Amino acid sequence: MTDTTVTPGSGPNPMTGRAKSWLRMRAIARRHAYVLVRSPHRLFDVSLWPLVDVLLFGSLAAFVGTSGSTPAAKASGYLLAGIVLWHVIYQSQIAMSTGLLEETWTRNLLNLMVTPLREVEYLGGVALFGMVKLVMGVGVMVLGALAFFSFDTWSLGYGLVPIVAILLVVGWAISLLVMGLVLRFGTGAEALAWGVMFVLLPLSGVFYPTKALPSLMQPLALALPTTHAFTALRSLVDHRGSDWTQLSIAAVGSLAMLGLSMWFLVAMLRTFRKRGYITRYT
Amino acid sequence: MLEARGLVKDYRRDRAVDGVDLVVHAGERVALLGPNGAGKTTTLLMVLGVVSPDAGAVTICGFDLAHQRSRAAECVGFAAGYLPLTERMRVREYLRLYGQLYGIADPNPLIDAGLERFRIADLAGAMGTELSSGQRTLIGIVRATLHRPRLLVLDEPTASLDPDVAQRVRGGLLDLCHRDGTALLMTSHDMSDVVQVCERVVFLSHGRIVADGPPETVASAYGRGDLAGVFLHLAESHEPAGAQQSDHP
Repeated sequence: MTDTTVTPGSGPNPMTGRAKSWLRMRAIARRHAYVLVRSPHRLFDVSLWPLVDVLLFGSLAAFVGTSGSTPAAKASGYLLAGIVLWHVIYQSQIAMSTGLLEETWTRNLLNLMVTPLREVEYLGGVALFGMVKLVMGVGVMVLGALAFFSFDTWSLGYGLVPIVAILLVVGWAISLLVMGLVLRFGTGAEALAWGVMFVLLPLSGVFYPTKALPSLMQPLALALPTTHAFTALRSLVDHRGSDWTQLSIAAVGSLAMLGLSMWFLVAMLRTFRKRGYITRYT
Repeated sequence: MLEARGLVKDYRRDRAVDGVDLVVHAGERVALLGPNGAGKTTTLLMVLGVVSPDAGAVTICGFDLAHQRSRAAECVGFAAGYLPLTERMRVREYLRLYGQLYGIADPNPLIDAGLERFRIADLAGAMGTELSSGQRTLIGIVRATLHRPRLLVLDEPTASLDPDVAQRVRGGLLDLCHRDGTALLMTSHDMSDVVQVCERVVFLSHGRIVADGPPETVASAYGRGDLAGVFLHLAESHEPAGAQQSDHP
């Protein structure tokens, strides 16, 4: 043996805890990179579907914009900026949720659970890989919007940064919720990974002010951090600068959502171990 | 090395494990035996920290599993004949992944040594889906031993293997235990595995330990010529209450 990090029967090796954590997170990220690269249909998630979305909503925006009125021009900007930013939540959520689902589909959960990998390291690994998918997916949309509709997302300025950060946190929070449900109810709950996004999309006012929603829905919409993030986005599209009030509400709401989702996931993981649900995947 | 005290696990109305005390010392090779539904797999899953016991505690290498699972898991390797390899990865990539999960920055020398030990170095570049079930089992054992664990836990390691491959597995395990002083805890329905590899057997029935000792001592205590006789005797006594039971919830 030439390796010096492991000696016979030594068990734990001398790497520091933080270095080991980082190594494990990178290993998990790489594992999911193999899945993406070796499953061409999964590349659709970060290439074709974002392109289809930008074409669909871009064309709608172009059609609405032809009327020439000021509200129409605004709506046109809302549609394109909205769909590009919506994919921040979508990509971050789907990347993390399907990370865990991949382990259940391939009966790999037990293999992972017997290793020293901590839950937070696993989440860190899939989040790390999710960032790569996010950059790819949103990158395709930004380029598509520019190439096909001359919509320059960057022209919205640095005000986008906090909005993207908030939407990223919301995407992670939803994925933790979905993971918890999958651990508790099995892969039958996987439909939620996609379905929950279709509930959030109209309620968050991604493409329109929530005043356009039925009055019954408006209180619910206002309770969502995404609603405030997209309101702040429309402020940028309208050249009114960053709306810090809306951003603050969205930031607090998204962090609260993340905290609740983490609590839920930990509780579901405890139930998973307690009830021996691992046998669903062996 | 491994100290499990008073393990109890209930699944709904069934008690799968009922007060199991199990100690495995450094370098010791122990077989956990019993009929289907006796509680073997549930016991192993509790020892691995994947299922939490309703009562009792597990300590591995001095680490309390309930509070230091990650540290304890660094000392343990686990493989099961029924577990698949991670999909869409080549064998070396797969082993590298698990080496790194055990905190080994460059697992390549250990991967080469592990594959060589079981005489499957030629499989390093193969995709997991291209392997036979026997080859997958061997790769699983290489993965479990990559970090040279102090305790190796194997669930049915030779199930569905050809006799020659099963013999290679037994030889590789003995070599590992002798060279590295690794303790072994395994389940098996193949008594030739047990006789060749293990120096101590622990029989479970209805979730309780009913026999514990060297194979020949246990066999003679039950008035049987060999372990298969003890197994059949316990399986028959297990039937009335246990026929409807399973290890699984």
